[in-house]
Amino acid sequence: MKPTLSTRRMMAYIGIVLFLLALGVLWRYRKQKSGAIKSVKVLVTCNEGKIKSLDPIKAADTYSCREISKVYEGLLEYHYLKKPYELIPNLAEAMPTVSEDQLVYTFQLKKGVKFHDDPCFSGGKGRELTAQDFVYSLKRFADPKLQSPTFMLLDNKIQGLNEWREKYKDTDAIDYTEDIAGVQALDRYTLRFTLTTPDPQFLHILALFPCYVVAQEAVQYYGKDFGNHPVGTGPFMLKFYEPQHSKITYYKNPTFRDKYFPSEAADEYQHMLAYAGQKLPLVDSMITHIITEEHPKWLSFNKGNIDVISIMADRISVEVKTNEALANSLKSKEVKVFEVPSVSTSFFVFNHTHPLFKNNLKLRQAMSLAFDRERYNQLFNNNTATLAQSIIPPGLPGYQADYINPYCVYDVQKAKQYLIEAGYPGGKELPTITLDAWTGTMQKQQAEFFQKCMQAIGIKVNVVCNNFPELSKKINNKATMMHAIAWSADYPDAITFLGLLYGPYQKSSEGVGVNFDDPAFNKLFEQAATIPDVSARTVLYEQLNQMAAEKLPVIYMIHPLHISLHQGWIKNYLWSDFHYGSEQYFDVDLETKQALSVHYAR
Amino acid sequence: MNLYTYIIRRICYVIPVLMGVSLLIFLLFNVVAGDPTVVMLGKYATAKQMAELRHQLGLDRPWFIQYLDILKSVFTFDFGRSWATQQSIIAMLKSGAWVSLTLVTPSLIITSLLAICLAFLSAFFRNSLLDRGLVMLSIIMTSISSLAYILFGQWLFGYKLGWFPIAGYEYEFPDFITYVMLPSIILIIVNIGYDIRFYRTMVLDEIYRDYVRTARAKGLPEWLVLFRHVLSNVLIPIVTNLIMQLPAFLLGTLLTESFFSIPGLGGIVFHAINSTDFPVIKAITILSAMFYLVLNLVTDIIYTLLDPRIKLS
Repeated sequence: MKPTLSTRRMMAYIGIVLFLLALGVLWRYRKQKSGAIKSVKVLVTCNEGKIKSLDPIKAADTYSCREISKVYEGLLEYHYLKKPYELIPNLAEAMPTVSEDQLVYTFQLKKGVKFHDDPCFSGGKGRELTAQDFVYSLKRFADPKLQSPTFMLLDNKIQGLNEWREKYKDTDAIDYTEDIAGVQALDRYTLRFTLTTPDPQFLHILALFPCYVVAQEAVQYYGKDFGNHPVGTGPFMLKFYEPQHSKITYYKNPTFRDKYFPSEAADEYQHMLAYAGQKLPLVDSMITHIITEEHPKWLSFNKGNIDVISIMADRISVEVKTNEALANSLKSKEVKVFEVPSVSTSFFVFNHTHPLFKNNLKLRQAMSLAFDRERYNQLFNNNTATLAQSIIPPGLPGYQADYINPYCVYDVQKAKQYLIEAGYPGGKELPTITLDAWTGTMQKQQAEFFQKCMQAIGIKVNVVCNNFPELSKKINNKATMMHAIAWSADYPDAITFLGLLYGPYQKSSEGVGVNFDDPAFNKLFEQAATIPDVSARTVLYEQLNQMAAEKLPVIYMIHPLHISLHQGWIKNYLWSDFHYGSEQYFDVDLETKQALSVHYAR
Repeated sequence: MNLYTYIIRRICYVIPVLMGVSLLIFLLFNVVAGDPTVVMLGKYATAKQMAELRHQLGLDRPWFIQYLDILKSVFTFDFGRSWATQQSIIAMLKSGAWVSLTLVTPSLIITSLLAICLAFLSAFFRNSLLDRGLVMLSIIMTSISSLAYILFGQWLFGYKLGWFPIAGYEYEFPDFITYVMLPSIILIIVNIGYDIRFYRTMVLDEIYRDYVRTARAKGLPEWLVLFRHVLSNVLIPIVTNLIMQLPAFLLGTLLTESFFSIPGLGGIVFHAINSTDFPVIKAITILSAMFYLVLNLVTDIIYTLLDPRIKLS
């Protein structure tokens, strides 16, 4: 069809309108940006992973937990400014009273704590938190139909909880009103837990996100969509959330109780005490961008669009520390680098059900001596990580900073000698060892580096890459010879690492699939696990750590370093593996932001 | 055969194809893929809990019952809820499809219009410097990885010049326009090279045919020959290319969506694969198969409208 004059004109008009619309939108965007610095304190953070769920009992990944703890709270939390980590009351009025036999914990709750205003409550106004809410939340955590991925944390710990869970395993009608001996609301504000056995870690578990309190009304009102409609008691609340969206906007909870910035601090955080006594949260709202790629995250931070980011070890090394122009640029912007060892250990695991490794300490020692940790750290972490000498990472009781494991020193000659003593001179007659690794590019390269190290002493290693379900399945079925894995702490106690080597645990839980069972280690572990006093327990942890170092059930690799950057206008920033919900302590200094904005303006 | 009979017949053909697709999906996820409960339960997974979860998800039921479930969802469009987010899958996909369309529609339209115009220009000045330059530019543009365009585009237009946001998305109109501008431009640049070469080849194939020679012999100007006679004859490959590109555009912009933090269908697919969210993957596979079949049908019908010589049979 030949376009008529009027058609051509119409098309030209449409073109002009579209062009003007595009210009208008761009102008509006730039205007919004230029007017961003106002009197409202908005904290802009970044989450590097997709959020799976905002339901405390459904989340098991760091990314989801960081978001959950902005909205929900538990009985206890870690003191923001103290080191080593110290548990303090959060929704509890005070630390619990504990019975002499260490089995009964009684909490008094803070009065006047309100859930967020939400349509699930009568009149849309959040009601007061009671002890019954914790009973409900704990039962929900144990609900067999909900299959919380973190239930292992409370498995067999509370009297009657496992029995209640078992009872309703095969029925649809679960009775939440049925009493459980171990979780009782004695009155409106008094909560009592009764344990099956003494457990010094129980309070740490109560501070974890699966034990955060939820409101029954919200669970019932939102049903299956509850994970996308968080209603907690926390400092921030959400007005809208969609799991696929790349932006989450939080607002200050207007009914948040009187909670104040701490007035005590470790030496290194003394400067933050200028904020002591100020009401929390310090910012008015918070935006979290979900940016999974490093490049846009880095550019957005450099542009001043994001206030805080975590960065990969290679980025900090290559860009921030070695690139002088960039370092100067960051310095002029007053960008701060925050480094802290991550409470995590990575290792190459020997599967001890395999006869080759089970009773052959010399072989394990030879392989550990042949592994060049320093080169590994240089290649994959730009020398930022701490070389692991044993299983307990820095930051936990039992970690010995000055301890050098004689088998974690790179010595090829000694490794060859140990290999001879193991009965495999030059690796002869030793079958090819299969190393299962995750299929990621970096993980494959790390496994190949291990392969190369072993080749130097004549050990043949075959690297097999698996996707995550395949690797987990192999580990669970004890079907690997060796595999590469990392473990992070759930709470600041070495038991979360030492438990990986405790024989009886490995029969009920898969852990990292080491399948190590040493009677001497087990005995000492059992002794340590029940000692309530931290310092007495630490002595035993150190002994266990050394046993783990000498017996080499795994080849210890590194403890990675967590590195984050924050803009000069962000105050009170600190990061740790256990400080969830720390954004309530951050402040945005608007004057500094205004002053520094010249460095970002273009 | 009239149009309605043809459509009904084609729809009947769709049924066995969908049954085949559902069987393939079933085999892929129930036989080849790993155990999803491992991913769902994470580092605390125990054998007992995994068995319980498998039971709850119905993965321990007889295979034929599980297959019937998939088959049923093909006809009812009830794909249930996502294992990962507990959202209704249809709602998730609707939301993702809208976002993807805001990104893909402008780029597909602009790419096609520009590519057709440039292909005709190239053919009009065939073997000239302009033609060679355009072909060379198209080859270069096709050879460069889309990742390079994304990284450079974000750095130059987002970071250095500040013309567009570096990443992000807003659902509200007209706010989303700002966020899809740069990724759309990048999608245009990524795809236009291939389209120019494809359409140019189509035009050159036609340009030496008898009817074109006849038109020229009649004294028609070259531009009229091209835009009136040649264009109407190359419309069929153009329409085929355009329509068949749509599903790939919708689902295949994963890299662009990921780098620009755009919550579209590509990201939903990627996230579902990462978290072993089988119901979402199954739904997307079934719906994309349906989409392809529908588009094939639409293409066939358009053929008859564009070229009266083509009959539906």
